[in-house]
Amino acid sequence: MDVNKLLAALPENDFSPTENSDWAQERLREIFADLAPRAVPVGSLHRMWTLSELSAQIALAYLSLWVRQRFSGEEAAQRQAVETNLRVALKLLHRLAYLRGAMTKLGQAACHVPGLLPKQVAETLDHLHFDAPPMHYPLIREVVRNEFGKSAEEMFLGFEKEAFAAASLGQVHRARLKSGEPVAVKIQYPGIARTIDADFRNISALLFPMKLGKDWEFTNAQFKEIRRMLNQEVDYVQEAESTRLARDLFKPEDGIVVPRVYPEYSGKKVMTTEYIQGLHLRDYLATNPTQESRNAFGTKIYVAWQRMYYAFMPYVDPHPGNYLFLSDGRLGLLDFGCVSHYGPDEREIMKLAEKMAFEDPSLTPEVIRRVCAVSEGDPAYPDYLQMMNESRDWTMEPTSKPGPFDFGDQAHFQRGVDWFARTVSKKTTRANPMYVYWNRSTFGIKALLFRLGAKVDVHEVIRQERNRNRTN
Amino acid sequence: MRITAKAKTETRQRILDAATGLFKTEGWHNATTRGIAVSAGIAVGTLFNYFPTKESIAVALISESVEGASDEFPTSHSQENSLEADLFTLIWSGLAKLREYRSFLAPAAETIFSPLARASEARAGDAIRVGHLEIMEKIVTAHGFPGPRSAVAVQLYWTLYLGVFAFWAADESPGQEDTLALLDQSLKLFVSTLGIDQGRGTNGRQ
Repeated sequence: MDVNKLLAALPENDFSPTENSDWAQERLREIFADLAPRAVPVGSLHRMWTLSELSAQIALAYLSLWVRQRFSGEEAAQRQAVETNLRVALKLLHRLAYLRGAMTKLGQAACHVPGLLPKQVAETLDHLHFDAPPMHYPLIREVVRNEFGKSAEEMFLGFEKEAFAAASLGQVHRARLKSGEPVAVKIQYPGIARTIDADFRNISALLFPMKLGKDWEFTNAQFKEIRRMLNQEVDYVQEAESTRLARDLFKPEDGIVVPRVYPEYSGKKVMTTEYIQGLHLRDYLATNPTQESRNAFGTKIYVAWQRMYYAFMPYVDPHPGNYLFLSDGRLGLLDFGCVSHYGPDEREIMKLAEKMAFEDPSLTPEVIRRVCAVSEGDPAYPDYLQMMNESRDWTMEPTSKPGPFDFGDQAHFQRGVDWFARTVSKKTTRANPMYVYWNRSTFGIKALLFRLGAKVDVHEVIRQERNRNRTN
Repeated sequence: MRITAKAKTETRQRILDAATGLFKTEGWHNATTRGIAVSAGIAVGTLFNYFPTKESIAVALISESVEGASDEFPTSHSQENSLEADLFTLIWSGLAKLREYRSFLAPAAETIFSPLARASEARAGDAIRVGHLEIMEKIVTAHGFPGPRSAVAVQLYWTLYLGVFAFWAADESPGQEDTLALLDQSLKLFVSTLGIDQGRGTNGRQ
């Protein structure tokens, strides 16, 4: 180890980045300025090299932390830990933003694996919303030609050359079918899908030191779940099928719209759906909607979420960009790339957890055993029991009494964040891989309803959806 | 016996067709001028009247295809496109024209465009290079970057172009989608240097 490098990497003495957001903002500006002119590395060798360098930087940062902690008091050590985590997060942000592509998606997904990354790292990565680089029309034309053997001009009556929205690793264009229907055409950046497996091999090498830990088996299973979901997200054939299944779940009286897919205009990298006109959350909120309107949309969001959950295909990416607020009061649901499809094992666990939550709390030890592989005699059991009880209490809080629940209540959301932080700090993170995305989904839906400031009669929605599920 | 211009043209085309077939079946390195002559049904000496080397045949194949693409380009060039989009169209349409010869173009290109190429090959390769760079120059100028380009900028462009060309020739990804990504990223890099090249610090009008 080069001592000079180590000393150079040491954190500053009088510095607290959590209290000094200007410092972080300045680092971010530097990162973006550095990224702007750089090309995305497309060769696996280049990507691996970048990752190796990253690995070394992270190791160096943590080593420097260790050195400083040896010579400082507890309070200072805690401050330095926060600082080092933030520095590492910024380095990761820099690298991931550079690698973009699948690695970026991995960075986003990794935020939802408790314990995988320190809190400051996860929070910083959560702000990472780089998408694939924008595509100009001649490139779009070739992607479409690759998919269908003919150009967009030949396929459509009209095709807008400028994208109107960003999509998962691609972009969306308005177009018109020859029969006249307006459609949205989602197009994926070329080559992105095939990088995922290579990127996971790289990240696996990067995480090698963790293999010595006792929870590696669970972490590894959770990583495999992320890999599986990312591969699913970039497969538009699979997304078209999930969209079709979701569309069948809703009737006109629900006021929830899932766009129709046009299979003859869709493939693995291009997906064409009905075009739905509506506002995204930010634009909707800018119209100063009434509380009644917020409540009505909030209820539809919750109904849609529960409907898909009870159909064993939870909508695990309740990102604000995936919802449209229509002028006639209907809710539009978009983007079904990130939908879990529960098999027999997951369904069994889901039903068991349901029964514990709604009917029989004495099933808690059984749920902990099935979900976390921790039995009552295990020394870690008390911590897992506490984690599970807190999780259940927070999840079920909106259903605890009849009548509307105010999702705009910051205290409720904060309790969930605190629970998550405790789970991470106590390292009670062993869980069936299905919970990687389920936790993301639970936090996502509550965050969305918090931003919407909606009051929803969750008690009634769940009663109706459970009854509906029993009768179907 | 007097050979008419028409007969000359037909013989030349027969050689090009025979060479294309042999390059594809035998590979660039295994195909010989003797084999090409036999396949074309002419004497080896006759072949040399048209093409002094195997490389010159490949150059002829590339030139005709790329020139065709270049001729078509001005009509599809539109101010509504960005500079990157227009350069993308120039290069990709040229590659599309060469798709038929893709299997043997990588080794042929190495020989033709190499700095170590023999004078006759280099001259033939130069014609392709100069022709392509002239069109690039027109496009870049039309997008608000008055020429001439510095030698460094031109060299950067040509290096990127050859890199994309070589990558494309061996690209086994579906629809050569990896080349699409590489070309897109290469052009982003080139365009980002144009402002610096002219000391403006911007990318100009796009």
